This record gives sequence, structure tokens and C-alpha cells, in this order.
Amino acid sequence: MTSTYDITLKVHRYDPDEKKSWIQTYQLKGGRIMRFVDLLRKVNDEEDPTLAWGSSCEHGQCGACSMKINGKPLLACELLVENAVTYFKTTTFTVEPLNVAPAVRDLVIDVEKAYERVDQVKPYIIHPVPPSEAGEEHPISPDELEKYVNATRCINCFCCASACISSHESFLGPNAMLAAIVRVMDPREREKEERLKCLYSENGVYRCHSSQACSFVCPKEIDVAHFIALAKEGL
Amino acid sequence: MSTTLKIDSSIHCDVLIIGAGGAGLRCGAEVLEKMPGAKVVALTKVSHPQKSHTSTAQGGLAAVDPKDPLDSTLFHMFDTWKGSDCTADQNVVKKVCESAWDQILWLENRGMHFSRDRQGRLSKRTFGGHTRNFGESSAYRAVFEADRTGKGIMDTNWGETLKRGITFINLCMAVELLIKEKQCVGCIIFKQKEGKFVRIYAKATVIASGGSGQVFQVTTNCRQNTGDGLALVLEAGLPVMDPEAVQFHPTGIVGPGILASETLRSVGGILRNKTLEPFMVHYAPKMKELAPRDLVARAIESEIREGRGILNPDHNIPHVWIDLRHLPDEIHEKQIPEVSSFFRRYVNLDPKTELCPVRPSNHYHMGGIPTNEFGEVQDANQEVIVGLYAVGECAAASFHGFNRLGTNSILELITMGQLVADRVIEHMKEGPENMPKIRGGQFVTRFSRYIDAKGRDNIGQIRNIMRSVMTEKVSVFRTEEGIAEAIETLNEMKERAERTALAGRGLAMNQELLQRWELDNLLAVAMVICRAALDRKESRGAHFRDDYPERKDEFNYHTLTTMPEFGAVELSRREVDMSLFKARGDHYENFDFIERKY
Repeated sequence: MTSTYDITLKVHRYDPDEKKSWIQTYQLKGGRIMRFVDLLRKVNDEEDPTLAWGSSCEHGQCGACSMKINGKPLLACELLVENAVTYFKTTTFTVEPLNVAPAVRDLVIDVEKAYERVDQVKPYIIHPVPPSEAGEEHPISPDELEKYVNATRCINCFCCASACISSHESFLGPNAMLAAIVRVMDPREREKEERLKCLYSENGVYRCHSSQACSFVCPKEIDVAHFIALAKEGL
Repeated sequence: MSTTLKIDSSIHCDVLIIGAGGAGLRCGAEVLEKMPGAKVVALTKVSHPQKSHTSTAQGGLAAVDPKDPLDSTLFHMFDTWKGSDCTADQNVVKKVCESAWDQILWLENRGMHFSRDRQGRLSKRTFGGHTRNFGESSAYRAVFEADRTGKGIMDTNWGETLKRGITFINLCMAVELLIKEKQCVGCIIFKQKEGKFVRIYAKATVIASGGSGQVFQVTTNCRQNTGDGLALVLEAGLPVMDPEAVQFHPTGIVGPGILASETLRSVGGILRNKTLEPFMVHYAPKMKELAPRDLVARAIESEIREGRGILNPDHNIPHVWIDLRHLPDEIHEKQIPEVSSFFRRYVNLDPKTELCPVRPSNHYHMGGIPTNEFGEVQDANQEVIVGLYAVGECAAASFHGFNRLGTNSILELITMGQLVADRVIEHMKEGPENMPKIRGGQFVTRFSRYIDAKGRDNIGQIRNIMRSVMTEKVSVFRTEEGIAEAIETLNEMKERAERTALAGRGLAMNQELLQRWELDNLLAVAMVICRAALDRKESRGAHFRDDYPERKDEFNYHTLTTMPEFGAVELSRREVDMSLFKARGDHYENFDFIERKY
């Protein structure tokens, strides 16, 4: 088994001061279970501290390090060198920012802009059903929860939105749809009408072309397309 | 260059929250619920609040259900007190434990997706150190959202604050507190995206900036946990309390250091050494794998030190195994799906059929900014700084003392978040008048130093050296000699940092500038950790001195550290609150300085 690989990264860079874009090549050694975040850090520590990229938890729970590697949107913290070489059958990788919002610098995008689409669907309970008795939780059976619990696992990494073949201008995006669908299915939400209006608006689920690219790329392995299909059928 | 370092604009608000994780946003949500229309601004260093470290908490939230006939809040208080190795403050322990269940309902009623039992009620599970009848048997008091409880808290609080009109400033650092004559009127911030400094005036400023785990090389903490809030108060001349109280999670996953939750042990995972012997029975005969974290961490480290560990060839890190192979598929798939998948994702192995490599990993900072039971920040004389609050991992009230029980941290975030909000609301109703106009300006000196530095070096490399020495010398086992070596290295690294020129020149989204600032914060926090650890010549909770292995009564106090200039640490003390013991209620004797044995 190979223990290290000679890796070539072709990174899409952008300098906001000069308004300049270019592709920069870095060559480095990568151990088999090093991750792409480890590679980028190695670039910063050994070669080029100016390369900007984002990460936070670095174990697939926050979605801050999503980017496109050889065209596929994914979390850089979850991609092991060994798996990348096997999957893409190469040791040369193109690294680009996600195309869901403008780049701020290099691989860092304006996440706020991307989130505006999630905010529009109101990712919270708009009008809660009051608790049944004083001091008690709402009873929700495990079977009922099971119907939508997978949709609650979304971390808003925007990989699905990046892979989606619908336009970012007209479609709020698969992750925004999930946030809305969860609250339609959650028995604690009383405000179903506004929710449905949003889902079936001109930026809603009917913009989806059913390519299922969202499900294919989701790092949390959520079957996003399944939930969107449910919404199309009227939940 | 330093001519560009000026205040671009000023903002006025009611409440400024520095950090938009679970604690900060629970506080923000409460303020907005009770005072609709209040202008609340929350800053976060990450790209969005959902990317905060709170989102990564897995296991659960401890809270005694009043409907549970077998459990009692008093037992929870006892477990927390005993777990803290008798250094938690009992007034805070009482408040947090008593308000726990209300907080669970608050979250549930606002849409958190807790796991449910067959009756549709909140499921509960047991966790290390949580017992019934003062240690008699395990208590089932942790509610949870599968193995993503922190994400549930984060999503719910983010949603609630969004709903009620909070203003978020993302990708933003708090660089200087505006304090004069024991009064805080806000903070100067640096907006990374624009590369601009902004002054924020606030009636109340709440520091909720999270932990400091990046001080150590192997850590479960997110990249952003660089102790910024602690460095911020040190720079303002205020103290950090119990910095030496740092918890190491026994089971970090070899490689990325990320957390393999205690859940793995509570569902039946077994720790084994090189010869596959289940070794916990030698260290905690009764609780075994469910013993508190520091005991398990030291047990693993002892196995490794005595040559019974295994060396991972890729990371060159020694470890032990956690064996999950005997667990039914249903447990793998329903109870630990995310943790189980970590091993597949990050180490390329299958926990259903293979042994999983784990080792102690830095996890939590019990120490932090000293506050009273209302979250009001205190100076070294224990006098309150008016208008300044701290909550969450960056704060020490102190609920955890010298060792935190699993499932007590996210409980503290939401309970203290709400309690601090109550105090903030009271403060605002009193109408803070005649707030002095403090302009600040220390930040110019600090950032000019960064920008004007000359010399070839690399901030990442300096940070790595600091993190290695802290893991090697000041983590699970500590000695006088080792800590002294670490202090020497920190001084060297500080000097090297001062001589490091930045490669990029622009201020906008200059990641290296951020890392340079973070490095100063990390070095400051590491320094107070070392000095306090050196001074505490005993072992207590997570602070274990190889050369002083016993707890001693003469150290029954909190350490207060201030650092007027780098390395010149001044130490003083704060008394441990013993109000439960002193009240002489039922079972008060359990709240004395008792022995911590499991």
C-alpha cells in the first residue's frame, strides 16, 4: 500500500484588492489518511500563508469547508487523500470555491449571501402549537419523527445547492427546501399555510428538475431529492 | 501601513454578544423574547452562527425530569459537585441544575428534534458520573437528539434569534473591550470581509466566545476555539479563573483528534490495550468504562506510557482501542450512526468489524472569565465590571470546577445563557445612564505590530510548536519540570511571532492577519494555563500533577490570573462557594470537600 502520494493542487484564487482571478499550482506530499483540510493547511504552513480558505469543526458537522474538488462539491475535511486518489483516479486536483455566492477571497465565499435563501423559508417554528399540558413536552412518536428526522440533519454546507442543475437565481435551493419541509412535517408547527405558499412559490419545489444531484453529493447522505419529491406530491 | 488602522464607523445597540454559539444565542433569544424590539447584535468569527463549535456536541443534555420518580435535582447537584472535584461553586450548581428541565422544554417547544421513546416522550440515557442516590447507581437523565444534540441546540437558538430580528455580523473579531472605571460600554471589532475596524457601543456586552482547545495539538475543538475571549479580558487587565482546569476527553479519534463521544462507552464500547485486555477494571472497578472523563483519560495515558499502547503509522500517534464489534447493528445504526461513521470516514475502517483507535484529546476548558452567579464579569478584586457579562465555555461561574461531567456543558450554555439574559434585561431596565464615551485605541498598537513586523517565519509553524509542547508537557500528566519547559518555549514562540512579517498586505479577508491575532491569543492563554498549573502543587479533577498526585485542602480555592504583560502572570485566589453545604439542608454532608472516588 502506498503511504504517501505526490499531490498537485490547482487552486482557483481571487484577490479582492486587485480584482484579479488566477489558478495557482501547489505540489506537496500527502499521507494516505490526511484530509484535504490538512493539505490546505500544509500549503499555508510550508509554502503560501496567503491562500485563504474556510473551515471550522473539521469533522463534517458544520459545513464550513465545502468546496469543489475536481468539480464535485464536498467537505474538504472529509476527503482523505487515499480516497480522493481512488475516487478521481488521479493525484492532480482542481480546487474551487462553491458557486453558490460570490468569492470574498480565494476559496472563501460570501456565505451570508448563500444563507439569504435559507432565511427566506424561515428556518424556525413560525407559530408553535402550545404545549398540551403545563410543563410537558409535545408527544411525538418515534415513527412520526422518523418520517422527517433525516431532513433535520442538514448542516447547510450548500453542496446540494452547488450541484443542483436549477438556477440559483430562481430556485431557493434544495437545502432551503429541506428547512421548509421539516417544519411542514413537524407537528409542533401551526403555520402550515405560509409554509406551503413558500414551498409552492415560483422559487419553490417546482423549480426542481429531479436530477437528484442533491442526494448524490450530500455529505450527510440525506436523500434530499426524496423530500423534495414528497413536497411535489403535496406531503 | 498603520495609517489605515482607524475606526471606520460606530454602531449603537442595546446588547452586544461576542460569539454566536449556543450560549450567546440562548442569551440573545431570551432578551428578544422578553424585550421585543431590543437591538441585539451578535458577532461571530466564523462564516455563519451555524458553523459554531456548539454544533459539534454529540451526546446529550443532563436534566432531571420532575416526572421521574427515581431521580432528583439534588442528585444532579451532588454529581456535579463531586465530578468537579469539589471546586464548582455551589450557588451556580444549584441554579443550573434547578432550571435544567425548564430549559429542555424551552428548546422542545421551539422545535428541537429530541429523540423520543415509544410513548413519544423525550428519551433519556445514562452518562459517566451521573448517578442516583449519591453514587449508588447510574441515572438516566441525559436527553439527546441522536448523536447531534449540540446541532439541535444551535439550530433552535439560531432560528429563534433570526425570527426575533437579531443582527449578525459574521467573519468578525472582537479586538478591544471599551472599559473605564469598572464599566464596559462595548467593543472594537474587526470585520474581516471588509478589512475594517468598527466601534460598537452597547448597554450590555456579553462575551460568549467559546473555548481555547487550539492551545493543544490533539483536540476535539473546532479551528476557531483559540481562546479569544480570554485573551480579550487579559488584555483589558481582567482575570482568567482556573485556567489550569483543562479537560481531556478520553477518546479522541486518532488522526483528526475529533471526538468519539462518551456514548460509545455508555452503549457498551470496551477499551482495550495492545494485548486486547479490557483494562478499565484496573482503574475504576465499579464504573469501568463509565467512570468520569479524567479517570478514563489517565487510564488510557497510563496504558500508553507503560508500553501497552499501539502506534498509528500514518500519524505517528500512540493510542488504545475501543471495541464496538460486539454491539448489535441496531445500536450502530440508531444510537451512534454519526460517531460510528467518523471511523469509516477519517480512519478508513469499519467499527462493526474492526477495532477503532482512540487516545485522549483536549476537549473542554472549565476555567475562563470569572463571573458571579448572574454571569457578571469580575475583576481580580471580585468586583463587578458594570455592563460586562460572560457565558458559555469562555466563562467560569463556576459550574464545572476542575472537571466537567459529560452532558453538563451544553446544559450550562442554555441555562446560563438564559440567566445572563435575565440580568442583562434588568440592567437595561435600570437604564444605564451617562455611559462614558470610551474611544479605545490599543488595537492600533497591536495590529501595527503585526503589519510592520519584519522577518521571515511562518505563523502556522510557530502555532504548531506551541501546540505540541502544550500537549506533551501540560496535558493529562503535568510536572514542574515539564511546565517550566513549556513556559520557556512559549516565550521563544512569542519572540518568533513578533519577528514574523505577513506575506499578504491587504486587510480584507487576510487570513494570515487573523491567524497572527489568534496566535497572540493562544500564546496568552497557554501562558496563564502554565503558570496556574505550576502554582497548583496538587492534583484536582482534570489538573493532574505527577509530582503531586493527591488533592490537598490547602488548595481548595479558584485560581485567578492576570497578565499585565506577556509572561508576567499575577496569581490570586477566589473562594469556592459552599452555600449548599452551609445551608445545612437534607444531605448537606455530601456537599463538603468529599473524596472523589467512583
